[in-house]
Amino acid sequence: MAWSVVKNAMKGIREKGVGNFLRELKEEGYLKCLPDGNLLQTKIHNIGAKLVGVDKFGNKYYENLDVQCGRHRWVEYAEKGRYNASQVPAEWHGWLHYITDHTGDELLMLKPKRYGIEHKENFSGEGDDYIYHSKGHALNPGQREWTRYQSWQPTKS
Amino acid sequence: MGLGMLASRVIRPTASKLSRNLLFQVRPIVSTPELHTPEASAAPAQPESTPDLPPPPRTPVGGARIHFPNPDDAIEVFVDGYPVKIPKGMTVLQACEVAGVDIPRFCYHSRLSIAGNCRMCLVEVEKSPKPVASCAMPALPGMKIKTDTPVAKKAREGVMEFLLMNHPLDCPICDQGGECDLQDQSMAFGSDRGRFTEMKRSVVDKNLGPLVKTVMTRCIQCTRCVRFATEVAGVQDLGMLGRGSGEEIGTYVEKLMTSELSGNVIDICPVGALTSKPFAFKARNWELKGTESIDVTDAVGSNIRIDSRGAEVIRILPRLNEDINEEWISDKTRFFYDGLKRQRLNDPMIRGADGRFKAVSWRDALAVVAEVLHQVKGEEIVGIAGKLSDAESMMALKDFLNRLGSNNIWCEGNGMNPDADLRSGYIMNSTIAGLEKADVFLLVGTQPRVEAAMVNARIRKTVRATQAKVGYIGPAADFNYDHQHLGTDPQTLGEIAEGRHPFCSALMNAKNPAIIVGASIFERKDKDAIFSALETISKNANVVRPDWNGFNVLLLNAAQAAALDLGLVPESEKSIESAKFVYLMGADDVDMEKVPADAFVLYQGHHGDRSVYRANVILPAAAFSEKEGTYENTEGCSQQTLPAVPTVGDARDDWKIIRALSEVAGLRLPYDSLGAIQSRIRTVAPNLLRTDEREPATFSASLKPNSNQKMSSTPFGTAIENFYMTDSITRASKIMAQCSASLLKK
Amino acid sequence: MAFSLRSVKVPPNSANLAEARTRVFDFFRSACRSLPTIMDIYNLDDVAKVSQLRSTIASEIRKNSHVTNPKVIDMLLFKGMEELNNIVEHAKQRHHIIGQYVVGRQGLVQDLGTKDQGISDFLKNFYNSNYS
Repeated sequence: MAWSVVKNAMKGIREKGVGNFLRELKEEGYLKCLPDGNLLQTKIHNIGAKLVGVDKFGNKYYENLDVQCGRHRWVEYAEKGRYNASQVPAEWHGWLHYITDHTGDELLMLKPKRYGIEHKENFSGEGDDYIYHSKGHALNPGQREWTRYQSWQPTKS
Repeated sequence: MGLGMLASRVIRPTASKLSRNLLFQVRPIVSTPELHTPEASAAPAQPESTPDLPPPPRTPVGGARIHFPNPDDAIEVFVDGYPVKIPKGMTVLQACEVAGVDIPRFCYHSRLSIAGNCRMCLVEVEKSPKPVASCAMPALPGMKIKTDTPVAKKAREGVMEFLLMNHPLDCPICDQGGECDLQDQSMAFGSDRGRFTEMKRSVVDKNLGPLVKTVMTRCIQCTRCVRFATEVAGVQDLGMLGRGSGEEIGTYVEKLMTSELSGNVIDICPVGALTSKPFAFKARNWELKGTESIDVTDAVGSNIRIDSRGAEVIRILPRLNEDINEEWISDKTRFFYDGLKRQRLNDPMIRGADGRFKAVSWRDALAVVAEVLHQVKGEEIVGIAGKLSDAESMMALKDFLNRLGSNNIWCEGNGMNPDADLRSGYIMNSTIAGLEKADVFLLVGTQPRVEAAMVNARIRKTVRATQAKVGYIGPAADFNYDHQHLGTDPQTLGEIAEGRHPFCSALMNAKNPAIIVGASIFERKDKDAIFSALETISKNANVVRPDWNGFNVLLLNAAQAAALDLGLVPESEKSIESAKFVYLMGADDVDMEKVPADAFVLYQGHHGDRSVYRANVILPAAAFSEKEGTYENTEGCSQQTLPAVPTVGDARDDWKIIRALSEVAGLRLPYDSLGAIQSRIRTVAPNLLRTDEREPATFSASLKPNSNQKMSSTPFGTAIENFYMTDSITRASKIMAQCSASLLKK
Repeated sequence: MAFSLRSVKVPPNSANLAEARTRVFDFFRSACRSLPTIMDIYNLDDVAKVSQLRSTIASEIRKNSHVTNPKVIDMLLFKGMEELNNIVEHAKQRHHIIGQYVVGRQGLVQDLGTKDQGISDFLKNFYNSNYS
């Protein structure tokens, strides 16, 4: 296996040249593998696995039926640094968690056009912009003066 | 474990002795104290050694009372082996209630006719081959009713399974969840699984207007709403369409429900099919705090429960009071609460030289008012109490202005020349519940349907039950019961007084004739003449007798009766035209054109409504939901409101403002607390302090001196143009605005 | 930063008044040093200035200026330290700080001057709030 990795790498360098190869290494997150063992392990898993699909965020979904059942589907997040499970859109969630065998691309057809909304990842802990402050909260700048009642405004006089 | 049991055995005797001592000292706060005494709680633990004796008597359900019209008609039935005596004609269900057994039911409602279509109230009766529907079965002498046998239970379980077959499982998003009869009873008779595998039926929702939200799929066809609409509300709008699984409740044609009592179908609906539209998805009922209070939007003083969450009034529900509103309230009472959150005055304001209002502190506002008060003469001061004022603040206002040397204080709606001396001349002498005894009604210048919807419901109930005759003098109006329109002007009244009118014979032959006069007469110039004509009629028809007083005045506003009791009567009729200082305590229906341009107007109130635009100083006060106050209703029953929510912004209670102002002005009123004001009221009108008791008028109107006034030929007017918007709170309410837009549309 | 004061240990008793005095000053300095942090975490910029809070701390300390027993001073110091620790660790909420140290103990009405001489308790309460 190790031999095939090196062979692939050599093939890549041969085809694209050293500069392009290094850039690709960086874009694909191979450099991040060095500090992030989780990513490294995903990358190692990917070898020989089948790429089932890529969603619109760029997350890649892999399947390898040779490994232990229950571990045979996984995702490689498009975001290499700050990835989390909420980045998986709804249509792929079922496939990834063995709820269904339909891939996300197939399930996307079922998404209701009229009221289906875009997937949004969970931004909790990502700074003040994503913290919810209720109406009338001291840290809610827009609605700081909000009250439960509407006062009479002396406009007409 | 052995040790623990040993220890508990050692401890138990002392513990029980301790609790017994405690119980004797401290009165337990429970509704049935006899069950919680040590003896009673110890009783079930004993082995049942005497099975032959009947079980101990149980208390009737919900305080059910039996009234024997004829003692000979009493029959005896046995409910679960226990004998009860009931009058003839009672149903099995009522007999069970008297015996203290609560029978599950959906379609049966004690104030509506019996439909018997839900079959939930099945009980077993001895010698009857099948379980019988107890709500529709008259009890027969010697009947042996069994309510908790396996047969009855199985029958009810079957009914429940059929009901749940087509009922959606959406309790988590249903507004009725938590107070739903189906939910409660399925806890006792529901199965833990369903056998129904087909598709549930679904029904198209109906549009019943801006107040009632319908989710018709949840409907279980109990027809309570249909019966309510036809029997109590008197509109033939709702009905049952289709048969079998296609059966649905609906308006026959696409039509809104135009009744002033439509909100009550929300309460009587046992499931979530009819729910409150303004309340939809606002709160769950178990997070609400209930405050028992009084409605102030009309003079009936309906008993209500204000449900609040935090500082917000979330909804208003009726409270049972057989003498006033039974268990219904009008739509205005039920849905005006959103006006409490809009257009509120929250800071004292002073109008500057440029004509703009500026928010100031209480200190500055009171100082400005006190300075102006020192510059005007006593007789140039005028005080007007609004239609929502409580008795305490009116007392304070009167005392304060009297100290300033003014005697021109009155309550709006009472007219400039009210007769406050004889109490029988301005209250409803026969009481609201007493109207049910009347057999002929004469309505003079009043449309109870818009002026006091609950009184109208009473009249309708009487008309339906006894075919009482109703004669009406006034502008053509829409009544929901049969009535004779006798005329539009006082001329007709004169004819009746002189005995020339055909309606006279009906009045003369009546056993309990009732005359209802509208309070809008108070505003008329020929008020005395009209009242003396009415007196002649009542003398001729024998309306006022020792055992029956059928002379009634139907007031319009919550404050009127208390104001007249406290003697809020203006000294001179022209006082407002020559006023230099006008104290408006929530008075918004005063004609501000009459106030001279150089007069200083002080507005004290809770809503920025009509009068605020003329005011020089605004003092924010508490609304009725935020203060404790006494209100007297049109039949002379004084009741109290309780604060449900805190005041908004920097507002204060009405009487506190007057008390503070009096001190700043140097004429300190001698009371510092509500109790102290009430003891001052006790010296003026002690009946106001006998809360929840009706004080009948002692002297009859015949003591009044005769007047030589002539009746004018001006026809009677309509007192209330728009049922939904009558005062500052309802005018601020969005829901009421929607109602008047969609329901009053001609 | 917030946890720099966490390891507060009960120091040995002050030997004499002079030592207690220096400890009080040390405490005052450390409190003043943490003020910018407090302003930041409780978002106090629009209700108070650092100088205001500093004088509040000083007045809180001066309130006990009559105490001469070094043991009592140590006890008060420890209480102050505890309070400061709680504040810096964000163990309180914004309105606690505003209520106790910004608005102060006099209540919201600030102008209790000579004007209120001779008015009744009722009127004083009336100016304060509707509920009293």
